[in-house]
Amino acid sequence: MYVYLYDNFLKQKKYASILKTIETRLTDFGIAGKIIRLQSLSDAKELAEDEIKKSVSGIVIVGNDKTFGQVLSRAATCETLFGFLPIGPDNKIAEILGIPIGEDACATLSRRRKLRLDLGWFNGRYFVSQLHVFPGEIAVEYDERFKVTAKGKMELVVCNLQPFEWEGNGKKYVVRPQDGKLEAFLRPVVGHSWFKEVYEDPSIFPFQEMTVSAKKPFAVEADGRQSKETKIKIKLSKKRVEMIVGKERRF
Amino acid sequence: MFQKTSRPAMPQEEYPTPGVSPDEVETVVGPSVRVEGDFASEGNIIVKGIVSGSVKTSKLLTVEKGASIFANVRAGNAAISGSIRGNVKVSDRLDLAETAQVAGDIDCRVLSVAPGALIQGRVTMKGIDIIGDKRDDKKVGGFMSKIKSRSEDEIEDSVGSAL
Repeated sequence: MYVYLYDNFLKQKKYASILKTIETRLTDFGIAGKIIRLQSLSDAKELAEDEIKKSVSGIVIVGNDKTFGQVLSRAATCETLFGFLPIGPDNKIAEILGIPIGEDACATLSRRRKLRLDLGWFNGRYFVSQLHVFPGEIAVEYDERFKVTAKGKMELVVCNLQPFEWEGNGKKYVVRPQDGKLEAFLRPVVGHSWFKEVYEDPSIFPFQEMTVSAKKPFAVEADGRQSKETKIKIKLSKKRVEMIVGKERRF
Repeated sequence: MFQKTSRPAMPQEEYPTPGVSPDEVETVVGPSVRVEGDFASEGNIIVKGIVSGSVKTSKLLTVEKGASIFANVRAGNAAISGSIRGNVKVSDRLDLAETAQVAGDIDCRVLSVAPGALIQGRVTMKGIDIIGDKRDDKKVGGFMSKIKSRSEDEIEDSVGSAL
């Protein structure tokens, strides 16, 4: 039996009909199960561990990229199968995993095409989609082999599953990360406009291990959770979680 | 009057090069970034800034105009428009654009040099077979001696007939 973890935003009335359709489809496929609604203070790891003890066959995350990151960053250490039912906007990870958005995801879930996914790891925490170091005077050392610096402030984004997008010269660029490596995007601040900083086009470095350090504490955001650090070590945790994916996946 | 006008969608492009598969991310060193140490990559490398130490890739190395490398370079193929201070070893093709400057020895299989490119160093290319082969020297020597003897005979003949 699967356990379904519903994000808090799905309480909104506009999602009622899609949830009803999905629940009917899951019953048709014979994979309906227990529903747990995540609250803002819910600990996904604790919930997952409790359910694993009750010998569930898998945990299905229902929501968007934020839900996916929030649950897996805590529950990645749990040895169970994970599934994903993407609903609503902000669902870029689902596209990478080859899972259609909405009720069609039920068919993918029922097929149980399993794959082990890489996760990012930093200072004792996992991240699924992206890690963001806000602009600061940071120095970055890659795989203990070479060091990257810039004259002023730099922004760093490390992508695991979520593509990196930015705008420049009137165009929107996108880089899709590849599996088996983390990609670091470094953008030095080259000036200021009215309300925001102006960035240079990013430098890109695929890596397996990286250390970011600074004299002053810098802000780090991983899967929507922020903290302040002076030194972080980022690693790739290979084949960390077992996940149900679709045929149209990007890796 | 206050109708919401929809902004035209911004064109989306795969970065950094249109010819490369979107899933194959390259290593890019931006213009105001400085890299120090043993810089190695399994994929293509594009250098727009400064690199010091050593550079190594089995694929394509592109050094753009204005970029500088203070290091020995090893690459599968290379296209240089910037400057390199160090030895360059390329297993296949090396292209030097008109703005390229190389201060160091070059070792490659195919070399293309645009007018205006500057090289200060020794150029070694694989596959050459006219230097260092003793049999070839002998052949050349024998051929030259034949020419010499024939011309001497002809001179003697011409002198004899004149007398």
